[in-house]
Amino acid sequence: MSAKSPLVNALRTRPWARRSLSVFSVLLLLGGLGLVGYPFATNVYQGQVQSRLGQQIASPELKQAYRERKVQTGDSLTRIRIPRLDVDAVVVEGTTPSALRAGAGHYPQTALPCDVGNVAIAGHRTTYGRPFANLDKLRKGDTIELSTPVGSCIYQLSKDPFVTTPTDLSVLEPTTTKTVTLTTCHPRGSAAQRLIVQGSWVKDLSQA
Amino acid sequence: MLQALTPAIGREANASLGRTCERKTYMRFVQRLGSGFVAVLVVSTLLAAPAQAQAKTEVETVTSPESYAATALARALELSVLNLNLTVGASGISINSTPSAEATGAGVALLPNTVSAAKVAAAGQSQTPPKACGLNLPLSIINVELACGETSAITNAEGPQAFGRGTVAAIDIGGGQLLQLLAPVIELLRPVLGTVLAVVQPVLGGLQLPLVGQLAGLDPTTDPVSALVEKLTKATSLVSIKLGNSTAEGKTTAGVVSSQGNAQGAQIDVLPGLALGGSPLLSIVVGSAKASATYDRTGGKADATFEGAIVVVKVGLPILGGNLLEIPVKLGQPIRLLEGTPLESEISLGAGTTKRESDGAVSAVADGVKIHLLKGISGGVKLELAHAEAAVGGRTRVVVRQAVVEPLPQLAKTGGEPWLPMAGAALLMAAFVSRRLLVARVGGNNQPADS
Repeated sequence: MSAKSPLVNALRTRPWARRSLSVFSVLLLLGGLGLVGYPFATNVYQGQVQSRLGQQIASPELKQAYRERKVQTGDSLTRIRIPRLDVDAVVVEGTTPSALRAGAGHYPQTALPCDVGNVAIAGHRTTYGRPFANLDKLRKGDTIELSTPVGSCIYQLSKDPFVTTPTDLSVLEPTTTKTVTLTTCHPRGSAAQRLIVQGSWVKDLSQA
Repeated sequence: MLQALTPAIGREANASLGRTCERKTYMRFVQRLGSGFVAVLVVSTLLAAPAQAQAKTEVETVTSPESYAATALARALELSVLNLNLTVGASGISINSTPSAEATGAGVALLPNTVSAAKVAAAGQSQTPPKACGLNLPLSIINVELACGETSAITNAEGPQAFGRGTVAAIDIGGGQLLQLLAPVIELLRPVLGTVLAVVQPVLGGLQLPLVGQLAGLDPTTDPVSALVEKLTKATSLVSIKLGNSTAEGKTTAGVVSSQGNAQGAQIDVLPGLALGGSPLLSIVVGSAKASATYDRTGGKADATFEGAIVVVKVGLPILGGNLLEIPVKLGQPIRLLEGTPLESEISLGAGTTKRESDGAVSAVADGVKIHLLKGISGGVKLELAHAEAAVGGRTRVVVRQAVVEPLPQLAKTGGEPWLPMAGAALLMAAFVSRRLLVARVGGNNQPADS
């Protein structure tokens, strides 16, 4: 009924062609599973990292380093809690790709949490625990809590989240008051833009 | 029976044919679905890949650094008799873009204790050795320095600087009652001053004696030399006499490299510092040569000038507003005698030349008095009174500007790669399609699917 294609003829008459196609299909299957499962793998990895960081942030060595302003890139810096989104994660120092595997990282050129100035934190949205996955759901008035080894404080959103370009570094500019800026990629799964959340200090909770 | 079986066989054949057609349709559908996924994957990758913002910056690359060099030399007096040389009052400098600076100054070149030298060969260095004099008699009101060499070499932020001076018989006479001390010196100077004034007189015409009279308040009918000297030695001001004075100087600024050689056979400054601006009231130079060369670092061009004269008179009267009225007296081109023979001789008064090389370097030579007799006989007899040379050359740096595209700084990238899950799905679909192809076309019993 249908013409026999050269491929079909090859598959029928040459055993090596059938075996090659079989192996190729297995490789395709494994590759596909790997790529599809990559985000889940990063979440598992981030969970392990967060466990280690949670122990580190309570250590006296980190407290000493924090007081001396000598926290290394990749080490625990502060814990961020966003009640509305049920976010509770340890933020590391630095925003390098390796540091951000912890989920969220502090821009090193910005102020420290609860200090005067603009403290800026970047977080993943689709991988590595997705701490900032639902940042777009925040609204003006929502609170953000930062807990450092030497004290905690609360910020309140001063406006709704907004979108900007990846090169808009003005959101990181220092301020004369205590403010917080959260950044993540936008739209979800893409790095074409950045979603920005900004808030102002409300009160200190405790001093360690 | 056969008739009874035919419908059954026909039904079976029809069923088999139906299954085959369904299988073909199914495979065709799967293939199209797979193609569609691949197309979606390609399109999503193209659309989802964020454009990397880039900024263009220019990088300056120096392919050939700037280079320059300048030299100058001056001789107050050089006497050569049958290749035996005596040089008095000599100075020379050399500077270049290494940076390095070198200077020499000699009262009498043959007397080491009258020779000064300075040299630096790196940035930020300085060398100024003490003045080297063969005889130095500093007294309260008279200072006699005979045969002195003075130098300095510096490499500062602007570049190399060098200065050299060689003098013979510098005499500063102060005011007061010095006549007795100065008597032998004045007698020594008398013929010099007399010669000078005799030369000056035709230049200044009738102004000379009245001029001197203005200065000294003298009776113009008396012996002008004795009257002048006596008046001046009793005055509180100074007379400065330098015989065989030569200076060579090299300077570097942000825009210019220059060299200058300056030589005087004799220079007499009357009342130095008295005129406005610190100039002497009267300055008489016998045998003067000045050669200058400058190099423009920005444009890469050089220029040279010369000036030679046998007498230069500078007058700094208050009426001139503090400026010096300079009156050079030149006699022009060299005079050559017995040219082409061993007895060839040349006399030049106030002559000079400039020259430009093919690479843009320039040089200048100036002579006050130059006499070269019997050139062809073992070098002959050569007398140079005031000789100066200067040369400079350079090359601007060659800069190549290259455009380098650098990515603009961005906020931290915290989004996943959108093409990853789609690529995974496409691979899974491709795996499914290939597996179905393998099973459907080949079959478990290796039966052709379309039989």
